[in-house]
Amino acid sequence: MKRFYYEKERINIEGFHVPLSKRASVRDVVSVGFGLFVVFYLFVFFVISVTNTFIKDPMQVEISKMFLSPSFEHIFGTDFLGRDIFLRIVKGTEAFFIPGIISVTISTTFGLLFGIISAYYPRYFSKIIFYFLNIIDSIPRLIFILIIIVLFNPSIYLIMTFVGISSIPKVSSYIKSKVELLKKQQFIEACKELGLSQVNIIFKHIVWLSSKSVLIIQATLGMGESILIETSLSYLGIGVQEPIPSWGNMVSMGKDFFFQGKIWLSTIPALVILVTIMGLYLLGDGLNSIYSEKVSR
Amino acid sequence: MTRFLKLFIKELLSMFLLIIGVTALLFLLFNLMPGSFPGKGLGGAEYLKLLRRLFTFQFGTSIVSGRDINTIVFPAFRNTLILTIGSIFLSILISVPIGIFSAYRGFESYSWPFVIFSYIMSSIPVFYLGYLVIYAVSRYTGYLPIYYPYGSERGNPLISYVLPVLVLGFGNESISEIVRLIANELKRVMNTDYVVASKARGESVLRSSINEGILIPLISIIFSKIPFLIGGAVIVEHVFNWPGMGRLAFQSTLNRDLPVLIVIAFLAVLCVRSGMLLKELILYYFRPGEK
Repeated sequence: MKRFYYEKERINIEGFHVPLSKRASVRDVVSVGFGLFVVFYLFVFFVISVTNTFIKDPMQVEISKMFLSPSFEHIFGTDFLGRDIFLRIVKGTEAFFIPGIISVTISTTFGLLFGIISAYYPRYFSKIIFYFLNIIDSIPRLIFILIIIVLFNPSIYLIMTFVGISSIPKVSSYIKSKVELLKKQQFIEACKELGLSQVNIIFKHIVWLSSKSVLIIQATLGMGESILIETSLSYLGIGVQEPIPSWGNMVSMGKDFFFQGKIWLSTIPALVILVTIMGLYLLGDGLNSIYSEKVSR
Repeated sequence: MTRFLKLFIKELLSMFLLIIGVTALLFLLFNLMPGSFPGKGLGGAEYLKLLRRLFTFQFGTSIVSGRDINTIVFPAFRNTLILTIGSIFLSILISVPIGIFSAYRGFESYSWPFVIFSYIMSSIPVFYLGYLVIYAVSRYTGYLPIYYPYGSERGNPLISYVLPVLVLGFGNESISEIVRLIANELKRVMNTDYVVASKARGESVLRSSINEGILIPLISIIFSKIPFLIGGAVIVEHVFNWPGMGRLAFQSTLNRDLPVLIVIAFLAVLCVRSGMLLKELILYYFRPGEK
């Protein structure tokens, strides 16, 4: 009987005792590995395009080499002005990398702040904060962006700032529910009894040690979303403008040649977008299932 | 019944407060804009005028075409509503079976391709999917119309709904989220004590966990996905030249037609908040004991 209770206790707190290496299944490892590969090549592309260490200029027009299909010389072929598509894809990471990081930073920092405040003061602060967050949440994101574009200028940095603002409610509601769960745990009570300060408990034990996984997952999802939004805005013609390459831009310019049978012009950037976003989503999903406590029976 | 009425009135009040807040935010943003346009001006009187126009559904005239906004917006609103509701049902039809299938233990390797399919569908750019479908359908079959028959008698408008609903239903970002949520929740519920007890009594596991494992998470995610669907509708309507609210919003963005844009934002917010109200009421029906 005693042993039974002991095992039950262990099952309940398994998330804290089983090492990470034993909690991950093959599927999680594959998805996290794929996601890390995507993050790696995004970073490499960004470094190449910022330091400008190209073999050939991605903006250079060569009319004699229009519409070449993929070959050894041009891995992904050339577009309607004879520019190499692979180099333009590398250069196109610049269009969303820094704006995406800005939007993710805004959404995670403010989401964390509001989530913690509203979990710790549930009576008044929580209601006021969530009233304002619900206001932001109830305007559809693309219509919000269209309004911003009408009112101010269509710069990608401004747009991504507002994308970050509009995903604060999601992050902060996740954080709020997580902190509300953690607040009742025994180790937090123990921290209080040991005389740690409130700031120390919140930022070390609640944020850093227990809910950083939520933040990482939200950050990867936010990065994927910002790529998708950049793509759709470029399709509508209000994102990054044409001579400067961006992934959405390339898909939407290539779609004009779709019905002539030259489908790789838009298909290859679309496939790159697909693989990248899928990698980021899978990274978030794999981390989620690794970090979450397993139910065992 | 009284508790239900209490909940209803409370939710209605909060919805009203939120709509007031949203219009205040939009009014503030419009006053931050440099330059001037008809109806702009700081002060409570202007704001009250705007509120009266919005809540009596007398929206005034467009500053570009000079037409009454009611005659422009409401047909577009109807078209978008059809598109959105149809694609929500399609998304549910696709994603719920995948979620149930991947929740069962021992089927992981069989359900993994379907889960990957759901990820692919939610990470492909919607407009690329639209062009792919138009290319395939118009080149190889030719059965389905790829555009909306404006005003003409030729062609059945009902058939022209098929392709946009199909593209928006597959290509909105919610499929993978629904799959993930239902798989996690169903896995959790299948291991709770009451489901195990009903399994021991010889009843179906799926049937006894359908309420808590599928319906409640599904309802709570579907209604919170409405804003994203309206956003996706902007793109899909642009691809299929569909006379809906999203395309109207985009056109009025290009024309700087702010009165139309504020009406569209108001209607979208009304949609979203009434969806939330409906969600609370339905959730109350499914779990009256809580709260």
